[in-house]
Amino acid sequence: MNTTDTNLVETTEVSFNVESINEIIENIHRYLNKHKEYINSLNVFPVPDGDTGLNMVLTIQGAIVQMKNNGRTEKNSGEYLKDFAEQMLLNSRGCSGVILSLFAQGFTQITANNDFSKENIYRAIENGYRNAYEGTENPREGTMLTIMRALKEKYAQLMEKEENPLVIIQQTIPYLKEVLDQTPEMLPVLKKAGVVDSGGAGFIILLEGIDKELSQLAVNGISLSSLLRIGRTTRKLLRKRLSELRKSPFAPLILNIDFSRIQNSRLVETLQSARNLLGNIHLNHNNGKTLNREKLIDELQEIDDSWNPEIKNKYCTEFVLESDVITSKDQLKEKIAHYGDSLIIINSNNKYKVHIHTNKPNDLFDDVSKFGSLLFTKVDDMKKQHRNFLSEDVLDYERDKSVFCIVSGKGFADILKNLGADDILCYGKNKPSVNQLVKGLNNLKAKNIIAASDDSDILMALKYAASLCKSNVYIVESDNPISLVSMLMNISKDYDINTIFDEAMNSIHNIPFCGIARSSRNVTTENGAPVNKNDYFTVYKKKIILANKNLDELLFDTVRQLSTEGSLITLYKGADMKKENSFIERLRSKFPDRDFEEYFGGQYKYSYYITFE
Amino acid sequence: MSKKIFIIVGDNLGLSHKQIDYDALEIVKFPVFVDGVEYRQSEEHNAKWLISKYEKEKVVAKSSTLIHNEIAEIIERNHANYDVFIHVVMSSGLSAASFRVAENVRKQFENIVPVINVDTRQSINGVGSVLLGIIDLIKTHPDLSVEELAAACQQIVENTFSWFVFPDLNYLYKGGRIGKAQSLMGSVLHIIPVVGMMGNEKDGLILAMGKGRTFRQVNDLIIEQIRAKMQEKSVNRIKRAITLSGYGDKNQDAYAALLEKIKTLPVDDVVEGEGGLVDAVYCGPGAYGVSILL
Repeated sequence: MNTTDTNLVETTEVSFNVESINEIIENIHRYLNKHKEYINSLNVFPVPDGDTGLNMVLTIQGAIVQMKNNGRTEKNSGEYLKDFAEQMLLNSRGCSGVILSLFAQGFTQITANNDFSKENIYRAIENGYRNAYEGTENPREGTMLTIMRALKEKYAQLMEKEENPLVIIQQTIPYLKEVLDQTPEMLPVLKKAGVVDSGGAGFIILLEGIDKELSQLAVNGISLSSLLRIGRTTRKLLRKRLSELRKSPFAPLILNIDFSRIQNSRLVETLQSARNLLGNIHLNHNNGKTLNREKLIDELQEIDDSWNPEIKNKYCTEFVLESDVITSKDQLKEKIAHYGDSLIIINSNNKYKVHIHTNKPNDLFDDVSKFGSLLFTKVDDMKKQHRNFLSEDVLDYERDKSVFCIVSGKGFADILKNLGADDILCYGKNKPSVNQLVKGLNNLKAKNIIAASDDSDILMALKYAASLCKSNVYIVESDNPISLVSMLMNISKDYDINTIFDEAMNSIHNIPFCGIARSSRNVTTENGAPVNKNDYFTVYKKKIILANKNLDELLFDTVRQLSTEGSLITLYKGADMKKENSFIERLRSKFPDRDFEEYFGGQYKYSYYITFE
Repeated sequence: MSKKIFIIVGDNLGLSHKQIDYDALEIVKFPVFVDGVEYRQSEEHNAKWLISKYEKEKVVAKSSTLIHNEIAEIIERNHANYDVFIHVVMSSGLSAASFRVAENVRKQFENIVPVINVDTRQSINGVGSVLLGIIDLIKTHPDLSVEELAAACQQIVENTFSWFVFPDLNYLYKGGRIGKAQSLMGSVLHIIPVVGMMGNEKDGLILAMGKGRTFRQVNDLIIEQIRAKMQEKSVNRIKRAITLSGYGDKNQDAYAALLEKIKTLPVDDVVEGEGGLVDAVYCGPGAYGVSILL
């Protein structure tokens, strides 16, 4: 690969070409898409419709579509990629999609300066890994994060000898595959299932796609260095053009304000910068201009005041600490009062429920966890809440609280609606994107929302959607539709939102249940019995306990084994079960001392969910 | 000086006359119309009879308010011998007309004898709970003035709480008394609704208290909510619990299980109440419940 043809760079790349970048991204996307079924097959449970690969593909696809629809404001390829990564995050699906997007976001934050040198690429990888790691709750070894970290380490090692960042990345791939092969040793569930981590595998395939695509470009005559310098050249041109405005009174504003930094967290700072710049104009220009300057400064102050009226501590933080070390509320108060204000502590036995406004929730959590176990934490961005309060959208709130459920099956959607959910996002086979979730949450027009999904793989996207939503969203960490039924059976919307949330969290594990699915590969049960591809198997408490070729027999065995859990046994049929195909009468005759009910759940992964109450 | 007090109550109180240890008492029977024919509670026409007609003949039943003259006649007949009359009335939130009738009677006698109308914010055994609470009060505090008596009755009302398991809310709905419990209707899943009447809720409406899929779940829910109510009111013991059943043969096991659980609570007095004709109109087959006085 030609990596040092600077003459070619100087002569052929003079402008920022969106189409060529899109073409590269689309080809990488195609490569990943081609391998998605392999990635999907690496699920811990051998259920059909594993979707890690699909989620990664759809995350990138969503960003491609969105970038095409959006108007272009980026000045160079670095900025374009940064915007692309933001769109990935908005369109991310499932945990794999969110983690990949977080990596891309962190990476492109560094390359937004359009510097694609090997050193800057290293910083970008490092930042991408950090961003993904910090954005993941309970980060674990043996996942995509491990591969990202391995990439960072190997890249650092190889850059001592190699100049071209793409070549370095290319050379990391064999090592990353070795690390991937070790993931089952790091994560017991992978070992048990006999698979490597699907997210990690997807990430490596993506790197291969990048390698292949950019190598191909080089073969076709466009050097890598040319490609990587598109943005830099463009920036030079833009600077040149803007310098023509140096005699204009607005030159300092145009040349000095970094508009890309105008984001919520930096708004106050940016406004201050703008005020300073306007002050400089006053020094240089006549009285006629000064009047406008004063008006502008007043307006900026007004915006600043409305943005940040009296909120000194940004995060409304709550946690429940279980501690045998702390013996009184006063003792705990003494230890944490310096973190902020509005401190309220309620205690019962050795449990302390704490509310505090602070700028350092993570430090606070670290500190208090020295005294015991943190059973629950919640952090709300009050500035965001305040912004929402100021927003006209707030006036559209139609209710104080709502319950929002996200489910795969249409039957469950109907059941949950009847049980009191205010709205349902029924996503069918493909997990919802962050954007879809934000729309769903905003459509409720509720000030407070209890949100729960039927799949843990949606949680990360839901949390990110909640951070973008105008309402205060309380996420119930459920991972199956039965939890949602249980939750709605137990909550009452007559109570305040915190009580409802507590009730919801306490109720999601109330109903014992199992799932029956068809195996997509050969595995073994918990007791070591073989489960052949296409056999049906029963998952109970996250373990495969039974398997059989014959669904009737498996149902009978499952009910026989688990019927001690309850006298009312309810079957929720999946989308793959024909509506008329009913086992209920046969079960009733076989187990006359039990009550049976059957409903259409319409879920995709499991042929049946069976509850025991 | 102790007062002589006469009590009037409708027969939708979840107790039989013999379960009430108070002589100066008259229970007025509500008119009940079954397919247009009027009945009053009797040996023959009782809750079991109506439930059987519901199940076998799909009859339509409704009740009417107490009749003004019937109450006035009781006071007319007895006022010479008593200092105060207390009329224990079902929740005005369920039947504003019944309370209006009681108020009209009070006004009729206001220059003759004081009449205290107690809006129980309850129905069925909840009314019974308030009634027995008032009788306890009269026996332990016979010297209270009329004003003090009225205030003490109000305290009893605010400390009385009822839970009902109504397997079929349609009877309540058809009778126009579904209140906030309507949210429990129309589920795709077969659910068992729990409704309630809370004495500290001013509206006196029927509330949705929760739901379960099995009777064990709803019984547990009731017990859990009773404990929560005790904690909320900072009391260690329940003065009295009146259970309710008798609406046909359905769910007798579930009722018996609830009764057993009630007995495990710190309760001074457990009374097994029984449903009457008028409340059977709204409860339907297999209903049961409990009312507590804290």
